[in-house]
Amino acid sequence: MATNIEVEHNNEDTLDVMQLISDIKHSQLINSYNTATRTVDFLKSLISEQEWTTAQELMDLVKKRMKIISTSLPYEVVSLNILRHSLKLIREEYRSILKKKKGEDLSPPQFVTPDYREVLDYSETLPDLKARLLDQLTEYKVEMETSCENIANQASEHIHTNETVLTVGRSHTVERFLISAAKKTTFEVIVAESSNILEGHTMANNLAEADIGTTLIPDTNVFALMPRVNKVIIGTDTVMANGGLRAQAGLYVVALAAQHYSVPFMALAHMYKFTPVYVGPHDKTTFDLLGSPADVLPYSSGPMLNKVKVFNPVFDYIPPELVTLIITQQGGNAPSYVYRILTELYVQEDYDA
Amino acid sequence: MYNKNEIIHKGNIVQAVVVADEFEDKFIPITNEVPMSLLPLLNKPLLDYTLEFLYLGGVEETFLFCCSQVDMIKEYIRKSIEASAAWSLNMKIHILVSESCRSFGDCLRDLDAKGLLRGDFILLEPGVVSNINLRPILKKHKEVVKKDKGAVITIVYQKAGVGQIGRSAEDDIVVAVDHNNRVLYHKKTRLLEDKRIKLPVEIFLLSDEVSMLHNLKDAHIAVCSSSVLPIFSDNFDFQTRDDFIKGLLMNEEIMGSTIYLHLIRGSQYGGAVTNWQNYQAVSWELKDRWAYPLVPSLKENNLLKDNVIGNGTIVPHDANISRCVIGNNVVLGKNINLEDSFIMSNCKLEDNVTINLSVIGNSCTIRKGSKIIENTVLGNGVNIDQNTILKNQLIQATKPDFCEKEDILGQYAFRLKPDEDEDEILQKLPRLHNMKESIETSDDGFSDSDDENLSYTQSPVLDDTKLFFTEVIDSLTRGFEDDLQCDNLILEINSSRYAYNISVKEVNFNVIKAILHMYLRQPTGQRYFSQLLSYFSPILKNYIRNESAMQDCLQAIEDVAITNEELKENWIVFILNWFYNENYLSEESISNWGRNLDQSAKFSVQVKPFLKWLEEADEEE
Repeated sequence: MATNIEVEHNNEDTLDVMQLISDIKHSQLINSYNTATRTVDFLKSLISEQEWTTAQELMDLVKKRMKIISTSLPYEVVSLNILRHSLKLIREEYRSILKKKKGEDLSPPQFVTPDYREVLDYSETLPDLKARLLDQLTEYKVEMETSCENIANQASEHIHTNETVLTVGRSHTVERFLISAAKKTTFEVIVAESSNILEGHTMANNLAEADIGTTLIPDTNVFALMPRVNKVIIGTDTVMANGGLRAQAGLYVVALAAQHYSVPFMALAHMYKFTPVYVGPHDKTTFDLLGSPADVLPYSSGPMLNKVKVFNPVFDYIPPELVTLIITQQGGNAPSYVYRILTELYVQEDYDA
Repeated sequence: MYNKNEIIHKGNIVQAVVVADEFEDKFIPITNEVPMSLLPLLNKPLLDYTLEFLYLGGVEETFLFCCSQVDMIKEYIRKSIEASAAWSLNMKIHILVSESCRSFGDCLRDLDAKGLLRGDFILLEPGVVSNINLRPILKKHKEVVKKDKGAVITIVYQKAGVGQIGRSAEDDIVVAVDHNNRVLYHKKTRLLEDKRIKLPVEIFLLSDEVSMLHNLKDAHIAVCSSSVLPIFSDNFDFQTRDDFIKGLLMNEEIMGSTIYLHLIRGSQYGGAVTNWQNYQAVSWELKDRWAYPLVPSLKENNLLKDNVIGNGTIVPHDANISRCVIGNNVVLGKNINLEDSFIMSNCKLEDNVTINLSVIGNSCTIRKGSKIIENTVLGNGVNIDQNTILKNQLIQATKPDFCEKEDILGQYAFRLKPDEDEDEILQKLPRLHNMKESIETSDDGFSDSDDENLSYTQSPVLDDTKLFFTEVIDSLTRGFEDDLQCDNLILEINSSRYAYNISVKEVNFNVIKAILHMYLRQPTGQRYFSQLLSYFSPILKNYIRNESAMQDCLQAIEDVAITNEELKENWIVFILNWFYNENYLSEESISNWGRNLDQSAKFSVQVKPFLKWLEEADEEE
C-alpha cells in the first residue's frame, strides 16, 4: 500500500525569498556578482508579480524579505544591500512622480541629500510607479554589469610603468583590473597563492596568459617581498560602514606587512558591497564564519583527528586605518569617505532594516 | 494511491531513495517512541540532515520509505514544508509506506513492485549525514555503464584512518578494486572472528592492477542503475546492501553484474548514524563542521567549547559538563556532573546528578543524587528515583510485555532485557567513545570487544556445518512442537544437507547431537526423555543404518556428554541403555567404542559400569 502526501506551501508569498536564500546558502551562486544579479531579478519579479498598490506596501514587502534574509544568512550582505538600495529607489520614484503630479519643476539640481521626511507617508496609489521602478532596476542592472569594466578602466590611473603589484588569491575584479592595466603599461605582479584553497594558482595562470610578468609565492613570503612591492591590490567581500573591510582570511597579515613598509593597500569593490553595518574585530557573529576543516587537514588523517581541533576561518577583518584606497566604479575613495557613499546609496532610516 | 502524472517519468530528473528505518533496533528504547529518522542530532532531526544533503547534492525527487511510526514522519515532513525548509523548495518528497517490510531488501522489493523509478537513482541507507555533491558521481556512473553494460551500482566511500572516531569498527572493511575502480573483493572484517582474510586468486589473475583498500569509511550512499531493484526482487534472500554486494560478487559470472567504487575527495564528507557510536562521532564531526555547509544552526558560535547546548537551557555555574550535547529547555540542578553524554530536550536533572557515557531520551526526569554511567540509554519520559545507580542498562518508561519484578525501577522506569544472548547485547550497545580516554592515552580507540576477538585463537568450526546443525535443531524443535511427521523432517534435514554440502558422516553425527541437544532445552524427566527419543525413532532408524553410523552416533553422544555436565552425570547411562535396547546400537559397536575411550577421562569412569554390565550380559548368554 502506498500513500503519498502533497503539502501546499501555506506561506506562498515568501517562497521567492526562501529560494534566493537556499541558492546563496548552497553556493549555487558562486560569486558576489551572481548573487547581485540574481537579487535584482528577484526584485523585479517581486515588483511585477506580488500584489501591492502603494509604495508603502511595496516597501513593507521588501523589508519583510530583508528580515528573513538577515536572520537565515547572518553573513550575507550583497543581496541585503541591493534590497536596501531598492528602498531608496522606491522613495525617489514616488517623490518625483508626486512632484510631477503637483506640477512642480522636475527636480531642481540638488546639492544636498534630499530630505525624505518631507513626504510623510507613501500611501498614495501611483499607477506609474511600477513601470518606472522596473525601468530603474533594469538601468541598475546594466550599471552593475558594466561596473567591473568601469573599475578596470581606472587601472591606468593607479598602475604605472615598471611597478610591482602584489595581490592575494583570486578575485575576478582584480584580474580584470590588472589585465586592463597591462594593455597600456608593463608592470609585474606577485600573486600570493592564498593557502589551503590555492586560488592564487589560477590567478597567476590567467595573468601570465595575458602576458603579464607574474610571480607566484607562498603566503608566508609576503612579508619578505613587501619591500619590493609598490602597491597591494586586493578584492574584498564587504566594505563596512567605518571603511574597514571584511575580506578573505589571510589578508589582515598582508595589510599589516604593507603598513610596515608603507606600501599603499588598495581594495576594489563594487557599489553593492558597501554595507551600513558597523563592526569591530570582536564582533563574533559577523566574522566567525568557519569552513570545513578538510581544507586544512584531510579527513583521512586518522586518529589524530580525535585529538586535534581544526579551525578554518573564512574572513579577516581589516581595520580602515590599514586601507589606503577603496576603488569603486565611481572612482577611488579613502575609507573615511565611505559614510558619504553610504548616504548616496541608502536612506538613513533603512540602515538597520 | 498515486496520481497518474506522478508516474510519468520526467526526463533526466535526479531521483533518490531513502530507507528511513534500520530494522535492527539499535536505538531502543528511544526508537520505541520516536522513529530512528527523527532522532535528534545536535537538536535537529536526523532526517533533516539527510534531506538537506540530498537537496544540496542536486537531487530533485526523493522517495522516503517508512515502515514504522509513519504518522510522526509524515507530520514532520508536513511541518518542515510549511516552514519552507530549504530542501522542500526544489525537491519533491514522496513518502512511501509499507508496514510489512522487515528489512532493507524488502523495501527495495516493494519499491520494485511499485515501479516508480525508471532511471539511475541514489540509494541511501538510513541515517546518512553528508555534503557530497552527487551529480558528478551520477555522471561518472553513467559513463561507467556506457563502457561496462553490467555495471549496476557505484558505492561511495571516503578515506579514513584506522582509529578515528568517525570510522565505525562495525564498518571495518577490505575492498579490492582494479584500475577502473571495479570492485573485485569486498569483505566486512568486523564480522570475522579470525582477523585474517583470504583473497581469491582470480582477482589477481583477471586484472593487471589491483588495489587493496582498507582505509575506507562507508558513506552508506550508492548510485544504482534501474536494474538494481529487479535483482533484489529476484533474490529474496538479499536483506541488506551488503548481502547484495556479496551476492553479486559471488555470482558475477551468472548475473553478469558488476560493482564500482567511488572515493570522495577534498572537503566532501560522508557519514551515517547506524549505532550509538556513530551517533556520537557524527555529532562531533558535524559540530566541527566537517559537513560544511551542513552545519548546526547554533545561535552563538560554540566551536571553541566542548559542548553543544540547546535553546532555553541554562547551565548553572557549578555544573561540570564536558563533551556533551544537551537539548532544548533542559533544566539542570546544582552540582551536576556530565561527561561524554547526550541529553535530549525537555529533561530535568536534579541536584548532584552524575551522567557519564550515556544517552538520556526526551523529557526524562532524574532525581537527586542519581548516577547514570557507562552505556546506559534511557528512553523518552523515564523517571529515575533518588540516589539510583544505573550502569550499562536500557531503561524505558512503559512496561514491557515480559517484565520481572526486579526490573521495575519505578512508575516510569523499567529495565529492558533484550531477549538475545549476552554477545548480542554487547554488540547492540557499543560503548560511546570515551573522548577523555582517547585524549589522555595514546590508545588507538579500538573497543574492548575488538581485543577479545584478537585473542581468540582457537580455530572456529566450519561455518557450513555449524549452520547445518542449527538448521537441524530448528527443524526438529518445530517438528516436535507441532507434532509433524518424522518423514517430513527427514526430508527437511536432507535438503539442508545438500544446501550446505555436508558429508554423510557429519549428517549422522549432527542429527544425533541435535536430538540430544533438544533435551537440554526442555524440562527434565526420564519419561519425557524417552518420549522425545521414541518420537524421533523414525529419524534415528533412518540415519543409524550401519556400523559406521553407529560409531558416529556414539561419537555424538560422547561429544554432547563431554560438553554438558548434567547430561553426563545423570543421563549418559540411560541414553546408552535406551539406544541399546531399541537396537539402534549393536553390542559390538558399543564395546568397540568403549575400548577406544580415554580410560583416564572422567567420562569413561561414568560409562564403565554400563560397559561392564554389557560384557556380563554377553557372557551370561
